[in-house]
Amino acid sequence: MSYIAGVDIGNSTTEACVGEVRSDGNIHFLTSASCPTTGTKGTVANTHAIKSALKQAMSKIGREVEDISLIRLNEAAPVIGDTAMETLTETIITDSSMIGHNPSTPAGAGQAVGEILLIDKLSRGVPGTPYIVASPSTYSYEEVAAILNQASDSLNITGVILQADEAVLVENRLRKKVPIIDEVSRIDKLPDGVLAAIEVALPGQTVRMLSNPYGIATLLHLDAEETRTVTPIAKSLIGKRSAVVLKTPGGNVRENILPAGEIYFDAENSSSINLDEGAEKIMQAVADAGNIYDISGQPNTNVGNMLTRIKHGMSELDQTPNADIRITDILAVDTLAPVLISGALAGETCLEKAVGIAAMVKTQKLPMQEIAEKLKLDLGTEVKVAGVEAVMASLGALTTPGTKLPLAILDMGGGSTDAAVISEDGKVTMTHQAGAGELVSMLIETELGLGDRHMAEQIKKYPLAKVESLFHMRMENGQMTFVDESIDPRFYGRVVLLAENGFIRIEKDIPMEKIVQVRRDAKRKVFVTNAFRALKKVAPGHDLKNISNVVLVGGSAEDFEIPEMLMEEFAGYRIVCGRGNIRGTEGPRNAVATGLVLSYAGERS
Amino acid sequence: MIIKKPSIFIYTYQPDASTLKEVCAGIEEEGVFYEIKEMEQASPDELAWTAANDSMLGSGIGMNGCSISLQMRGIPKGHSIEGYLEPGQEQSRKLGANSARAIKKLPFK
Repeated sequence: MSYIAGVDIGNSTTEACVGEVRSDGNIHFLTSASCPTTGTKGTVANTHAIKSALKQAMSKIGREVEDISLIRLNEAAPVIGDTAMETLTETIITDSSMIGHNPSTPAGAGQAVGEILLIDKLSRGVPGTPYIVASPSTYSYEEVAAILNQASDSLNITGVILQADEAVLVENRLRKKVPIIDEVSRIDKLPDGVLAAIEVALPGQTVRMLSNPYGIATLLHLDAEETRTVTPIAKSLIGKRSAVVLKTPGGNVRENILPAGEIYFDAENSSSINLDEGAEKIMQAVADAGNIYDISGQPNTNVGNMLTRIKHGMSELDQTPNADIRITDILAVDTLAPVLISGALAGETCLEKAVGIAAMVKTQKLPMQEIAEKLKLDLGTEVKVAGVEAVMASLGALTTPGTKLPLAILDMGGGSTDAAVISEDGKVTMTHQAGAGELVSMLIETELGLGDRHMAEQIKKYPLAKVESLFHMRMENGQMTFVDESIDPRFYGRVVLLAENGFIRIEKDIPMEKIVQVRRDAKRKVFVTNAFRALKKVAPGHDLKNISNVVLVGGSAEDFEIPEMLMEEFAGYRIVCGRGNIRGTEGPRNAVATGLVLSYAGERS
Repeated sequence: MIIKKPSIFIYTYQPDASTLKEVCAGIEEEGVFYEIKEMEQASPDELAWTAANDSMLGSGIGMNGCSISLQMRGIPKGHSIEGYLEPGQEQSRKLGANSARAIKKLPFK
C-alpha cells in the first residue's frame, strides 16, 4: 500500500490531496488540504506552502509527510496574472479653495455668504459687511455662543464654522439662528478676510447650491470663466450634507487629463489603442487582434510603466538572460477611484476615472523541475512533475457527479481564468485569460476607497448585514435575523461581514447597499466578461452553442454569488453550468490535485 | 393629559457637576431630549439599568459621583454598554453622544 500525493500550485492557493493505491490498482482518496501559496507561483519559495499543505493533509489521517511515497506536481502553465490600476484624470487646486464636508450633526439650514472672520478678531469686524465666523476648538460652545450673541447687534454674522463637534450646542444658545458647520479639522487653514459660502442641507437632503456650479456662481458672484473652473468643486460636493467654498483671488481649479498612453498589440492583426478610450474599446481591440504575441505600452506613460512593471516582476522569476517574457492577454475594466485632490484643504477626495488592468504574463517555462528537486531534498520523497494543468483540472472535474464527456471547465482562480474543453476522444483545447479574483479585490478596494487589500478580500468573500439593534440585524437580501445573546456594542449600527467565525466590522462609513453594488459589479465585470471570452476561445468553432456542459472549478467558484451570476448569463445558451463538486465531496476546489493522483493510476495501467 | 417628551433618562446620586454637564452636552449635540433625576444611593450600573428600563426610548445613563455608565433596555444588569470610573471631559461627552446614537441607530463613537 502506498500513498500518492498530488500538489497544485496556484497564483494564490496551493492545494494538495493524498490517495492510496489499492492492490487492485484502484485509487482511494484519503485526505486533502490547502494553504496560501508562498512566493510567486513557479518559484522555489513555493516549497514552504507545499510542505505545509501536505503536512495538514497527512495529519488529518494521523500520518506523517514521510509516509508519502510519491509527490506529483502539476506542470504549472507558465502564466502569471498581475493587476495594476491607473487613474486617467486628476483634479488640481491651486490656492486651495474648498472644503467638502460631511459632519453628522451640522446645525441650522440654508446658505450663507460672507467674509471669513476668526472669532478672536471679531472686534475688527466692520458693521454692515456680512461675516462667516470661524472658531477653533479652544473656545467652548458656551463661549462661542456668548461672543456671537454679544456681537450680533453690531455685526452682520451670516454663518459659523466650528472646529469642535458642537454645532447644535452653539445653535441652541444663539439668539439669531444661522447655518453652522462643525468638525472642520483644519480650521487654521481658513484664510482670514476671504469671501466664503457655506451651506447646510435641510434634514434628509444634501447640499443643493454648492453642488451646482451655477449655485456657487450665484453665491460668490463668479463670471462665466470662473464658473467653468469651479465645476470639479461642485462635482466633489455632490451628496454632502454641508459644505464650504472659498473664493481665493489667485485660486484656480482644473481637471487634468493624464497622458494615459497607447497600448500596442503585437498580434495577428497588430494594432494600438489609447488607454483613455475606456475598457470596452480596449477589450474590443484585444478581441480583434486575434492571437497575441505580446502587449506593450507607450514608453514613459502610465500604461507603459504599468506593463513594464508587470514584466519586470516576471523577469525575476526567469533568471536566464534575454528571457522570453511576454504579455499575452489583458483584461481592462472601467472603474472610479477616489483620489486625493492636490491642494485641497482637509484631505478631500474626488472620484477620478480609472482603468484597472489584469495582465497575463507568459514565459517559456516555469522552473518546476527546481521546485521538484528542492522538495525531494527536503522530504526525501520521490517528486515528479507530471501533466499539464488544464488536462489535470479536466480529469479532476470529471469526478463531479453528473458529468460526462465532452466537457468544458472554467477554472476561476486568483490570478487567471482558464478554460478547457475535452472532447469525447480526450483531446484538450485550453486557454488562459488575464483577470480573476485578485482583480475583483483590487476593484473593490479602489472603488470603496478602502486602502486595505485584506478588507477588500473579505468584502469579496462574505455577505453583509447591518446590525440594527443589539438583538437583530438585517441581511443584505432584506431578511431579518434575531439573536438570543445581545450583539457586542462595537457592532451596533454598523455594517458587518458575516464571516465563519463571527462578525467583521467595516470601519468606513459606507452604506450597505453601496458595498453590495460595488462588490457585485466588480465580480460581474471580471468574471462574466472573462467566462465568455475564455469559453468562446475554446469552444468548437468558437461558438458557445457547441458547449453543453460547463463545470466551474477553482477558488473563485467557491464564491457565494459568482456561480449564480454565470448560471444566469449562460441560461440563454442552453448550457448546463454549475459549481463543480470534485470527488463528490470537495466542492470546486482540488480539481488539479485530484487529477494528478488519478493520472498516476492511468499511467500505471 | 400629561404628555411626556420621549427622553433619555439620567439617574444620578450626588453627581459631579462638570461630568454631568458634559454628558448632557453630548446628548444635546445629537439633538435628543434628556431628563435628570436624583435617586437613592446605588452603583452607576444599577442606576443606568433602571434608567434604561424607565425611559420610553430605552436608553439610560447612571451616575454616582464621577462614575458614569450607559445602558440600553434589554441588556442584563451589570453588562453596561460603556462605563467610566473617572471619565475625562471627552469621555463624558462621548458617553452622552452614544446614549443618543443608540436611539438613532447610529454606530457608537
